Order: sequence, then C-alpha cells, then structure tokens
Amino acid sequence: MVRVLNTLCVALMGLAMLALYHVSEKTRVAGVQLSGINREIAKEQSAMSVLQTEWAQVAGPAQIQVLAERNLGLSGAPAPQLASFETLPRRGDDAPLTDTPIRNASVTQPSN
Amino acid sequence: MNQTGPTIYQRRIVVGAALCVAAFALVGVRLVDVTIFKHGAGGVVSDHSIFARADIVDRNGTLLARDLPVVDLYANATALDDKQGAANDLARVAGVDAHRLLAGFKAATAKKPYVLIARQVTPDVQDKIKHLGLPGLESEPNTKRYYPQGRATAQLLGVTDPDGNGQSGLEGGLDAQLRTAPSEAVQLSVDMRVQYILANEVAAARNTFHCIKAGGLVMDVNTGEMLGMVSFPDFDPNYRHFTGDDTDKNIMAGDRYELGSVFKVLSFALATEDHTMTPDEVFPIGNGFKIGKYTIHEAEHMPATYTAREILAHSSNIGTAQIALRSGGVRQRAFLDSLGLLEPRLTELPEYARPLYPAKANWGTIETATIGFGHGISVAPLSYIAAAAVVVNGGRKVVPTFLKHPEDGRGAQLLKPDTSVKMRELLRYVVTNGTGRKADIAGYDVGGKTGSAEKPILNGHGYQAHVLVTSFLAVFPIDNPRYLVFVLLDTPKGPPMSILAGNTAAPLAGRVISRIAPLLGVPQRPVPPGHENT
Repeated sequence: MVRVLNTLCVALMGLAMLALYHVSEKTRVAGVQLSGINREIAKEQSAMSVLQTEWAQVAGPAQIQVLAERNLGLSGAPAPQLASFETLPRRGDDAPLTDTPIRNASVTQPSN
Repeated sequence: MNQTGPTIYQRRIVVGAALCVAAFALVGVRLVDVTIFKHGAGGVVSDHSIFARADIVDRNGTLLARDLPVVDLYANATALDDKQGAANDLARVAGVDAHRLLAGFKAATAKKPYVLIARQVTPDVQDKIKHLGLPGLESEPNTKRYYPQGRATAQLLGVTDPDGNGQSGLEGGLDAQLRTAPSEAVQLSVDMRVQYILANEVAAARNTFHCIKAGGLVMDVNTGEMLGMVSFPDFDPNYRHFTGDDTDKNIMAGDRYELGSVFKVLSFALATEDHTMTPDEVFPIGNGFKIGKYTIHEAEHMPATYTAREILAHSSNIGTAQIALRSGGVRQRAFLDSLGLLEPRLTELPEYARPLYPAKANWGTIETATIGFGHGISVAPLSYIAAAAVVVNGGRKVVPTFLKHPEDGRGAQLLKPDTSVKMRELLRYVVTNGTGRKADIAGYDVGGKTGSAEKPILNGHGYQAHVLVTSFLAVFPIDNPRYLVFVLLDTPKGPPMSILAGNTAAPLAGRVISRIAPLLGVPQRPVPPGHENT
C-alpha cells in the first residue's frame, strides 16, 4: 500500500513539474508577446502624438487665416455681421430680427 | 513494548511530501502575488509614458506644447573609413559643424569611440542620415519639445533646454508640475483663439508704427484668468535661433514702464472712493500748474476749466494732479500698495519686474501729483492690469493666473462696489467722448483709458520729447465687465499727434475687441443703423 502511495506521489510530482513547466513556458511566451504588443502600442502612440501635433499646427488659427485669405478671399468680419444659430427664427415664427436683422445678433457663452 | 521510530523509507516519504507541499505553496504564494498584489503592473503603457514633460493645452484643449520622439545620434568613429567624407555628409544632413565632427572623429579612441553627431534629431533627418549608408551610427531615444502654435505663444510658453528643463515662460514656471505627471496635460487659462488674434493685431500695429516693442494682455476680471499675453519682438520656439531683433524677453511681465495716463484711472478711483471729488466738479486747467519749482503742463492745449469727467476723458495732467493732491501722498501710497503695485506681481511665469517708485520719505507733493498721472512710478503691465481689474470688477482683489480657473476668483473688497460702478461710467465716457473714441466698437459697450507717456532718458534725468510709450486699457461690456484688454506700443513713429495713444493703442484695442468679443460670447447690443463702425 505504501509503495503504491509512494509511486502515486512521485508520479503526481512529475506531472506537477511538467504542468508547472508548461504554464511557466506559456507565461514566458505570453510575456514576450505582451512586450511586443506594448512596444507596438508605444510606437502607435508616438506616431499619434506626432500626428496630433502636426494637426494642431496645420489647424491652428495662423494657418487657417492665411489659407482663408489666400484661397477664399475672406477677411475678418466686422462684429455686427456675426450672428449665432440661436438668433435665427424657427420655421413659422415671426422673424425676431425684422428691423435690424444682423445687428441684433448675440452669441452664446462658451462652456468653460 | 517495543516502540520503533519511522523507517528510513517513511522519513524519505515525509521529506518528499514536505518538499512537494513547499513547492506548491511557493507556486500558490506567487500566484496570489501576481494576480492580486501586482495586478496590472505589466499592463499597457500609458499615453505619452515615454515622455518627460506633460502636454500643455489651452482652455479649450488645443495643443500648445508637446514632447515629440527624437534621437540623439552618435557615430562609432573607429568604424568610419573615410572620416573626412563622413563628417561632411553628416554635417550637411544634420546641420552641424563639419569641423567639430572631424575633430571628434580624429580624437576618438578604441576606448572612447563614440562621437555625438547631433541631439534631438527629428525623424525626417534620421531618414536622410540613414540613406547616407554610413557604418557605425547609433542612436539613443530622446524627446524634443514642440510648439505647434509657433511664435504666437513664444514668450508665454517659453522654451526648454535640450535636456527638457523649463527655461522661460510657463515652461519654466510650471516645470515641476509638468514633470510630476507627464501623462496629465496641464490646462492653461489661455484661449488660443484670443492669443492668436492678440498676436496678429499687435504685430500689425507694431509694423504700422515701427515700434521697438509692443505687447498685449487679455484678462477675465472676475476669475483672474489670463486669456492672452503677447510680447514683441518674439522668437520661433521651435528653432530657437534668434534672427533680426528676436528676443525671448517678455515685456508685459518682465519689463516695467512709466505707463502715463492709464494711471489716472487709479487716481480717479481713489478720489471716488474717498469722495474727494465728484464727476461734475469743475477744476481749473489753464496753462500750467506750479508745484514748488516744478510746473506741470498738458500734452496739448486745453480749455481754462474742465469737469472731473472731462479731465479723465481728455486726459488732463493738471486736473488729475489736483485730484491726486486731494487724496494726499500717504493715502495714495497706501492705495497703490493695497492694489499690489508696490510689489512685484508674481504669477506662474518666472518673469516679473520689481516696480520703481519713490521711497516713502521722498513721496512728497510733486511725486503725489506726477504719480497721479502715471509718471514717477514704473510697473510691469501685468501688475497694472491686476490693479485696473479691481477698479471695474466690483472693487475686489483679483490675482492674475495662467491656469484654468473658471470660478470667481475675486477676493478681498478693496473698493466699494459703488466706486466701481461710477468708474465704469467714467471709463465709458472716455471712449464715447474722450481720447478713446477709436476703441468704441459698435455693439460692445467698451470703456477705457488712453496712456501716452514720454520715455525717461536712459541713465539721466527728464524725458525724451515725442518718444512715447502708448497704451490703452479697455474693459467690456462696461455695464458688467468681464474682459480687460491692455495693449502697449513702445516708441511708435510718426508725426507727434498721430502717435498719441488715441491714434495708436486705442484703435488697436478696438480691433482686438471686435475680433475676440464674438468668440468669447459677449452679448452684442443693438447697433443703430449707420453706426456699424467696425
């Protein structure tokens, strides 16, 4: 009986060692893959960072003003010519700006 | 009874079982450690974790400064066969000195073979260098601070050195904050739209009047937030090579000026607070006001008398001197002190200027009179607007800040609210009937005050005739002020009358207001037909 138990224990131990090695190896491989993915993510983030910066530059007000003046012939509009959508009448409503259509314009406070 | 101990086999089994238990226990402990205590330690790297400094963004999230990945490039000189050719090629592509490279290559030894080619090499230059096909080139990852808005934010943001340490501007002032949490962007109070418009208009005015220097500020008088700050000459923060008259000096925070007549606002505020004059009280003006051996003159001819309201509107030195003398030197000094004008104005910027003013013992009658109209005291423009904001925001102390802080930032009550209301009426009168007419923007009730100060003679006494610093303080909407615009032109050129603040700084402030007010959501009042002057 004892011999059988001994044999069983040794067999279990062997199996446990094999299982442990297997798990360990899978973990190592997963770790390598994770490192690779992390490197890829960092690389992508780095590329995104560069693109966001480029976008901030090309979409900056200095660029927009130059392009608008050169290609669209636009220039700064006098303040009384500016209006917001909120001031426009709804369909069927009387136009609230009948007398002074543009000059009554106001704009909404931006959220902070 | 014969008691025998465990046999040798039993002992071995126990030892084996103990080893098994220990091994499994070790695995179990490690599993608990990895799954519970170190959970997430090996997770995804956070955004921008490779960078040393946090992004800087404006109040709306627009990117203002960011670290970008670059490399420091080295060459193993022992691997280079043609050192002269390699030095020339690398110098041409990387934009560095060929002689330095060649000297480095020749001095390299087997123990110290590496020579620095260039720091902070950008990806496009890296590609060009790669195409040279030179052996022995190695790179080390680094970062470079980049400013997508370029010159428009130059003095405000400042720059970092090649090691990423903040050197000037907010990069210097917020250095610790930017380094502590590189993944968390620092949000400024600045609105990039306002900053650009301010830069655009001030630069245009500087060119028109051929000024030595110029600057502008936009502030929220209730929160203390700075929405814009520009200073010219400026520089390109991305290249850091100064050309022409480029400089990194920020005149609005780091320089001090005798601001002249914009200081009359403070004299009137004090007199209104103390009830030492009323707006309709008549004062003699005449052709000079003698105080001891000194005579105070006007910049231009004025009538024999003016009401206090007209004195401010037409910027009479003689009238303001009389009003200041009613307050007295002791009270005037205490008032200016309470507004923070006798101390450097400290903000998140590392740049500041110590004010210049007479010592207490020397603050006599003539000093009281001249300081009343802005001569004999020099302050930084940033200090001045913090004081001017108190006059119009209900009389409460406010501290300028460059960090987003949309809540009401007003503190101690320095002036009665009623004084603030009366001062707003007077400032509006200056724009409708006085020297500030060219800042009157249809639809936005602008209040303000001009300042045309002759510049002191350098290292001497007295002032330079027709060499002016012109400025304009504007506040809008005047019935419930929210924003303050201050512009300054240092030494505008032109015929004497054409370079006064009413013809230089006031229209500049008006143009700035007409462009930023709609963006800031300031309600526009109806404009009578035919008065759309903008």
